Amino acid sequence: MKMPKALSPIIKIAKYTLTDEVRQRSFVVMFVICVTFVFLMRGCYHGNYMVNGQELDAGAIVGSVSRATFHVIAVGMMLLTALFSMRVFRRDRDEGMQSSILSKPITRRQYVIGKVLGLWVLSAFFMFILHAIIFLTASITLKVVMPGYLVASLLCSFNLLFVVIAVLLFSLMMPDIAAFLCVMGIGIISFVADGIFAISHSSKAQAMMPQLGSQQDWTAWRVVYYLWPKLSGTQHFASSFIGSEGFPEYGSIYPLINILIYGLIFGALLFWRFRNEDII
Amino acid sequence: MIYPSPDVQDNHDFSCPGVDGRRQKSTLYLTFCGQYFIDIPDRSTYTFFMIELNSVTKRYGSLAAVDNISFSVKTGEYFALLGPNGAGKTTIVKMLLDFTKPTAGSLSVNGLCCTDAASRNAVGYLAENYHIPPHLSGWQYLQRCAELLDISRSEATDQCRRIVELVGMQGREHTKTSTYSKGMIQRFGLGAALIGNPKLLILDEPTSGLDPIGIREIRQLLESLKNQGMTIFLNSHLLSEVEKICDNAAIINRGRLLVKDKISTLVKDSDTLEDVFVRFVKG
Repeated sequence: MKMPKALSPIIKIAKYTLTDEVRQRSFVVMFVICVTFVFLMRGCYHGNYMVNGQELDAGAIVGSVSRATFHVIAVGMMLLTALFSMRVFRRDRDEGMQSSILSKPITRRQYVIGKVLGLWVLSAFFMFILHAIIFLTASITLKVVMPGYLVASLLCSFNLLFVVIAVLLFSLMMPDIAAFLCVMGIGIISFVADGIFAISHSSKAQAMMPQLGSQQDWTAWRVVYYLWPKLSGTQHFASSFIGSEGFPEYGSIYPLINILIYGLIFGALLFWRFRNEDII
Repeated sequence: MIYPSPDVQDNHDFSCPGVDGRRQKSTLYLTFCGQYFIDIPDRSTYTFFMIELNSVTKRYGSLAAVDNISFSVKTGEYFALLGPNGAGKTTIVKMLLDFTKPTAGSLSVNGLCCTDAASRNAVGYLAENYHIPPHLSGWQYLQRCAELLDISRSEATDQCRRIVELVGMQGREHTKTSTYSKGMIQRFGLGAALIGNPKLLILDEPTSGLDPIGIREIRQLLESLKNQGMTIFLNSHLLSEVEKICDNAAIINRGRLLVKDKISTLVKDSDTLEDVFVRFVKG
């Protein structure tokens, strides 16, 4: 089957991005460290855990450990994806690949989509492998199959897409390290806002509400909670598939929609910014 | 050929000037994107401009890197753009490839506006201070360039083999480019520009980093391409080489076009192109 003409250069650029990234020594080192860390997590499944003097059953241990590992991997991958992405445009420019590609009948939009696609596929695949190791460990060693685990991994990859687009956009406007820190800042604020929102909805906090501050402060936090890129929310939404039966409640899909909308907005800004960029 | 005139009508019949001075009935079409092109029954009798610059200006803040420059390069012509450092030569090349946008004016390549990616269909480009990703071999790099042009794998392999021979890099094509000298990278850069048999070759300092033998080989290679009807747009400081290769030249300084003519007209009697260049640049 022949590929549509506009799609062909995008796939090729994505392929080059992927292979160039994998060839980097830093990538290989990161990958080995991450896989080793995930393999070491196997030990956590075999411990005896006591809560309130009662020993936890194997199912609860597997569920909790798998969920915790899922979050650690997802957050770690956001960090690694930002690190991979921040130098992509600069490296392409320094190595002459950018001018080489754009002197061919390839539009800037195709180039940018190819870059985003390559980085997204790479980081999503990387994360999927790490999650798959956990999935297989639980399945083979403990005979507990969690099909939602891999679905959750795929859903969480939308966070990585957002990180790739945001870092690429910021790297056009500021030094690479500043772009990395900016996106990490967005992530940290997202997790903090979610944490504060969760605390504010706890019964203890509700009781203490008058002492905690004015209603206006809480309203400001609510605005941040709902409008800020919901990286944390998407991760929690994805993790709700682990061990759950059926689809989670409809309202919880909002973080995913939020992150997709932000992805589209940042993507449009990235196209606009790169269209006006001078190619060196 | 683009005629962005508001007066012309859709599918309008008109006469088109030819190289022999005759005019022949042609049809002007308006494309969906608002550009015009001419369908000429017998293309061989008509002049086509491979490159056209119309009142092009490029400003960086208050500095005019290119100041209201207009000229054209005919198909099959070997054209040299000359000027001292900072004259605006590379800026013109970058505008032709849509690497940077003009502040005013328009540029077209092969009859298409430079902002149209299809205008680069027929273009091979060699940048000044060429770089190749260090983890690739010369062969892998050429293969990538061929792939990006949608050349089939077998055709790409044939072309790459031929080009490696053409640029004299047999035996070194499978080693990593990080081990190459500047001259070797320049040769592979020229090879990459030749992939896909482009109609127009834009060369920005093609002999930069080459030894005298390499310079001579590149000159011979460019001369051999002349017979294939390729158009060459050359930015070079090596005026002696330009004099040997090119038919026409334009001299620019501080973003302004000083002169554009045939080299045989510019260089008279015992003068060299270098004398002419110095005379024009120093005023």
